[in-house]
Amino acid sequence: MTVDNRRAQGAFFFESFFLLVISPVQSLITNTLDAVSETYNHYFMLVDVARENDRLQAEMEALLRENKRLQEEVRRLERIGHLGEYAATSDEKSLLATVIGRDATQWVKTVYIDKGTRDGVQENLAVVTNAGIVGHVTQAGPNSSKVLLLVDRRSAIDSLFMESRVPGVVVGLGADLCEMKYVPVTAEVKAGDWVLSSGIGGVFPKGLVVGRVLSVVKSKQGLFQEIQLAPGADFARLEEVLVLLP
Amino acid sequence: MATLVIFFYGVVLFAVQTTLVPKAAVSGVVPDLALIATVYCAFTLSFSRGLFAGFLLGFAQDCLSGVMLGVNTISKSLIAHIFCQLKGKIIVEGPIPVFVFMFLASLCDGVVFYISSLMLLPNPLSPEKFFGGLPVYALYNAVLGPVLVMAFDRNFKWWAGRLKAS
Repeated sequence: MTVDNRRAQGAFFFESFFLLVISPVQSLITNTLDAVSETYNHYFMLVDVARENDRLQAEMEALLRENKRLQEEVRRLERIGHLGEYAATSDEKSLLATVIGRDATQWVKTVYIDKGTRDGVQENLAVVTNAGIVGHVTQAGPNSSKVLLLVDRRSAIDSLFMESRVPGVVVGLGADLCEMKYVPVTAEVKAGDWVLSSGIGGVFPKGLVVGRVLSVVKSKQGLFQEIQLAPGADFARLEEVLVLLP
Repeated sequence: MATLVIFFYGVVLFAVQTTLVPKAAVSGVVPDLALIATVYCAFTLSFSRGLFAGFLLGFAQDCLSGVMLGVNTISKSLIAHIFCQLKGKIIVEGPIPVFVFMFLASLCDGVVFYISSLMLLPNPLSPEKFFGGLPVYALYNAVLGPVLVMAFDRNFKWWAGRLKAS
């Protein structure tokens, strides 16, 4: 048995009519459904995307922070490395300390370090960096100490020129410079000469870098030269220092 | 409670002074938060309390500084005394009077330190350098003064309200 479904004629009139009437409604419903479905799906997808975005943003920020921290750590280790190299080549026993604060007034040059008597720090111990003398401990508390910087006006270090071995006393000028006093006019001193600690006084061991001569003025009447020094240590960027233990 | 609050503010003030403030140095000159606080206390508190606050702030500053012990105590007490006397005669309201008084207080503070250094230090400050830097110091305090005084004032009122309520 076979069924013959062929149609000899075109679409039946009512068929066409209903198709014509219903198709816009069908389209409207279908499109609306599609739109609702799409919005629904996208909404939930977007919520997920937004969540994912927030998570990635937070992750990125955390990684950036971590990156900065590690960069800072690398720099700190580099600085400590320089100090460590210096400490290894030096005969002195030393203790690494971090500068945690500066003086509470405008007029004097002192810093605070994070090591105190509990770590073996005492008064009158020398504080240095690999670049030169920083100052000496004037007050030692249990956990922190006060260091009078080389550039303070009350600081005085018996020193000598590396080449000529002429002695003098280096005093701070209160700013970022020092002055070497009591160098006779007859002594041969020129800009660029290195000045070292003489070891006299007992606070600073002999041979530590104090600074470098910036300018020399020889007055005709005076007995001594006026010598300005640039300190070896960089006081503007002082972060880690070595305390030379007894 | 009030004592604890004041102590807490003192600790914060000096912690900021010794750590953050040096980073805001302008050609080596840093503002003096203790001085600003002294002037504020002198104008806000009663005569005896203002004077005592000046003394305490100066003493704490001396303890946290390598300066000759007592210099800041004297200068801050003196400034507190002057401004406690003045507040009965002058109304200090708005940023401009605060600016002017901070400037004058800074000059007074500097001069006291300079005279003390001349008398006590073996290697005193050179007058050119000192008087060259003093106007910058005074100006810095004067600019910062009105902002900090406003901040202190708001905090003070907030705490006063809370303490009264409790």
